[in-house]
Amino acid sequence: MQAKYIKKIIYHLIVGCFAILLLYPVIWLIMSSFKQSEKIFATAESLIPQPFILSNYAQGWAGFGDYGFDTYILNTFIFVILVLIGHLISCSLIAFGFARLKFAGRSFWFAIMILTLMLPYEVVMIPQYIIFAQLDWLNSLKPLVVPAYFGHPFFIFLLVQFIRTIPRELDEAAIIDGCNTFGIYRRIILPLIVPALATTSIFTFYWTWDNLLGPVLYLNSPSKYTVSMALNMFLSNETVSNWGAMFAMSVVSLIPVFIIFFIFQRYVVDGISTSGLKG
Amino acid sequence: MKKSLLVLLGMMMVLWLAACSGDDSSEDTGGDTDDTSEETNNDSDSEASGDQVTLRIAWWGSQPRHDYTMEVIELYEEQNPNVTIEPEYASWDDYWQKLSPQAAANELPDIIQMDLSYISQYAENGQLADLEQFLGSEIDDSNIAENTIEGGRINDGLYGFNLGSNALSFHYNPEILAEIGIDEIPETYSWDEYQEMAQQAADAGYYFDNGMQADVFFNYYLRQNGARLYAEDGSGLGYDDDQLFVDFFTIIQEQVEAEATPTPDFLAQLAGPEDDPVVLGDGVGIFQWSNQFVGLEDMSEHTFAFATPPGENLEDGLFLKPSMYFSISENSEQKEAAAAFIDFWVNDVEANKLILGDRGVPVSSVVQEEIADDVSEAQQAVFDYVAWAEDNSTPMGAPDPAGAGEIIEQLTNLSEQISYGEITPEEAAEYFRTQAESILGN
Amino acid sequence: MQTHMKQNLWGYLFIGPFIIGFLAFTIIPIIASFYFSFTSYDLFNAPRWIGFENFKKMFTSDPRYLHSLKITFIYVFAGVPLRLLFALVVAMLLNTASRAVGLYRTLYYLPSLIGGSVAVAIMWRQIFGDDGIVNLALMTMGIDPVRWFGNPTAALWMLIFLSVWQFGSSMLIFLAGLKSIPQSYYEAASVDGASFFQKFFNITIPMLSPVILFNAVMQTIAAFMTFVPAYIISKGTGGPLDGTLLYSLYLFKQGFEFFHMGYASAMAWVMLVIIGILTSLIFFSSKYWVHYESEGGR
Repeated sequence: MQAKYIKKIIYHLIVGCFAILLLYPVIWLIMSSFKQSEKIFATAESLIPQPFILSNYAQGWAGFGDYGFDTYILNTFIFVILVLIGHLISCSLIAFGFARLKFAGRSFWFAIMILTLMLPYEVVMIPQYIIFAQLDWLNSLKPLVVPAYFGHPFFIFLLVQFIRTIPRELDEAAIIDGCNTFGIYRRIILPLIVPALATTSIFTFYWTWDNLLGPVLYLNSPSKYTVSMALNMFLSNETVSNWGAMFAMSVVSLIPVFIIFFIFQRYVVDGISTSGLKG
Repeated sequence: MKKSLLVLLGMMMVLWLAACSGDDSSEDTGGDTDDTSEETNNDSDSEASGDQVTLRIAWWGSQPRHDYTMEVIELYEEQNPNVTIEPEYASWDDYWQKLSPQAAANELPDIIQMDLSYISQYAENGQLADLEQFLGSEIDDSNIAENTIEGGRINDGLYGFNLGSNALSFHYNPEILAEIGIDEIPETYSWDEYQEMAQQAADAGYYFDNGMQADVFFNYYLRQNGARLYAEDGSGLGYDDDQLFVDFFTIIQEQVEAEATPTPDFLAQLAGPEDDPVVLGDGVGIFQWSNQFVGLEDMSEHTFAFATPPGENLEDGLFLKPSMYFSISENSEQKEAAAAFIDFWVNDVEANKLILGDRGVPVSSVVQEEIADDVSEAQQAVFDYVAWAEDNSTPMGAPDPAGAGEIIEQLTNLSEQISYGEITPEEAAEYFRTQAESILGN
Repeated sequence: MQTHMKQNLWGYLFIGPFIIGFLAFTIIPIIASFYFSFTSYDLFNAPRWIGFENFKKMFTSDPRYLHSLKITFIYVFAGVPLRLLFALVVAMLLNTASRAVGLYRTLYYLPSLIGGSVAVAIMWRQIFGDDGIVNLALMTMGIDPVRWFGNPTAALWMLIFLSVWQFGSSMLIFLAGLKSIPQSYYEAASVDGASFFQKFFNITIPMLSPVILFNAVMQTIAAFMTFVPAYIISKGTGGPLDGTLLYSLYLFKQGFEFFHMGYASAMAWVMLVIIGILTSLIFFSSKYWVHYESEGGR
């Protein structure tokens, strides 16, 4: 009993200390957001803001021109949610097809899919931009959101790998019960890949939230700008950058991602156990 | 092989366009007419609805610039109810990232803020409109010096309208200068005298400066010796004697060795300009563009003063650099309206009371006088220095040719390698010439 | 025959969205970039066919290219294994059912959440600065401080540290994988008196192997394409002395700073071949070490 207790203390000591070590930069970021902009560099080695101020937050929140930071956050939320829905629906369908169904050309299309991951975006960017320009989709969310409804190779592959760990006997049982192919997807596979879907949600949320290049290319009107674009606008290549406001808004923009992670990580870990799968 | 690929690509494009663009474009025009009719109802009383103009204008910058530019736009829209201006602003990096695909897709905004380092690239490839036709008509240039306007000339056309002027300068901290035993930096001083002063600073435990931006100051040095970095027509380098390269970079190298200039690895460690020895009071001064003086004063607790860069042939070396331009894109359908806005920007006093020289010392002499009382002390010092430089400089010559970006990077890398002691100035001179000639040659 | 058709139909019904999306948005840009790689293309004027010139230049007269290829290899082969190992160890540590663990998981994931922002670059500059915490730690251990941003080799290793520090996404995928291993396997092994290491190598690794495969492939691809950290840490220069000029950064410079989109496209296709070979190697080797439950063991 005592040994178990000591083991627990040691565990928390190690894991806790390590967490602090890993988090030092994050703590530094948060504390710096309460420092005066011009003191952030001069007092970099100290974590305690002296004096402690909140004005960075007020300044940052005020935004640029006619739009406050609330506009950017709202825009980003809409963007993220639309992409998230697209990824969850399309990637799970496609992954099921690749992982469970036997059809002519399966390996070919799978290889093509992996191939698309290997070409840097920079070189397909210009032709793709021209396509979206021809479609008259510029200055809207469409070029950023619509492709999400046709799957994302990373998540398709992720889900494929998870589906392949699920025993086939379950499918066969479902077929005996009278399920068709879609039924297997809907009733057997979908509930079992909840952890992977939660992972997909977390990544999609964070990657989309953080996406800079896409919005920079396709959004022209300041009323449509996203958080990542706004953060860059605190910087200046000519005069003084407003580091304080930039740090403050970086912290603010971390909060939604943090909350989403905290909520979804439970499903990553608890998903299987609640579904009652026996090995 | 080439042909079949082209055909394949072409076929796909055709299929694509046939499948999609037809209905979409009609939808688009529908949307636009809706917009205009709404606006006509709202704010125009006497204007014919056909005169409604929507202009897209893009610029880079940071928060204060976005804020005042929006105010100027509002002011303009108030005075010209038939014009709607759609701003598109971004940070420097994002701005250029955005602009190149827009150029490739013929979707550039009507008015584009341009930088000296990119203007040739865009102008020579037919992306920008020649502004010559608007001078004296849409754009009133009567109060603007010929020299200033010429800063936007590339080959035969005027592809950018200069918004302000900068000049090379030395911003120094008078207190530290006194501490190292120098009363005053003379108006002109030789490179030898510069190195002596620097040695004095090093002996007292201070840096004299932060080194010199390779491409800018090498060009300045070349100008003092009757040459320049690029040939006037942009087809090659503008100097024949590699000894000039060796001499200049030897000075740079000696400065580092004497500890009068920080080592490159020290400079690389700095987190930002806020960390700079000059800002923190550990250095005498910094060689940079005149407009950067304002930022330096903002950042530092210390106060600074203006001096000139070294070299006896000061007048040949110094030139007025356009701080930035407004260009009009060739694909714009409202070039006249765009030109009218540029005119407002450079000539309107009320507008310039909002701008306050943020985009460079105003080019119009009238505007400069009118806003004198409104600008900060630091800004006024910049105005004074540029006014002085106007009389003590020679024309800049043609802007950097297309391909300059790559050359600047080569030169910066070589200068870094020289300071690290990885390569001798002689080797660098030869290597630079072959590289630069091959970049500019094709 | 009939069932064959039916199977195909179902298959294409499910992967249909991918194929449509691919044909609509991806294939033309891919073909275009392939075509560009044989041209001189500056984004503004029509591409001009130059055959294999770009590829020839890369390997014969562009020392910066070869240098960036070299450091990218170092970055990938040092960074990916370290990151995966780290992620796996942490995932196993956090794979327990304690209330505090949810919080730990979130905390450990935090570094990955602030990934791409400029704030990271500034923070990183402070931490690896002259009197930053890393150098302070080195000095207390009696080691001379390092100019992390001033020394090309140190700068590359700093980038590798940065990537290892952001191990969160791999950790999360490992966690999801660990959780899907039925607890009953471990219980049965415990009954048989298996040690921790026996359980690890006989149950955890085989059961986790599909996920390990996924992480290995994806992290390798991602590492080759790393752009943002190198860009923000070096302020876009790839310095010092090209020490952080990763492949993608050089590609970006060629395409968008020097306007050699043809050359950049050629670079991209060479990279595709390199990554393609590496991932196929991983995929082929997977026959020998990846265990799919749905396929009845090996």
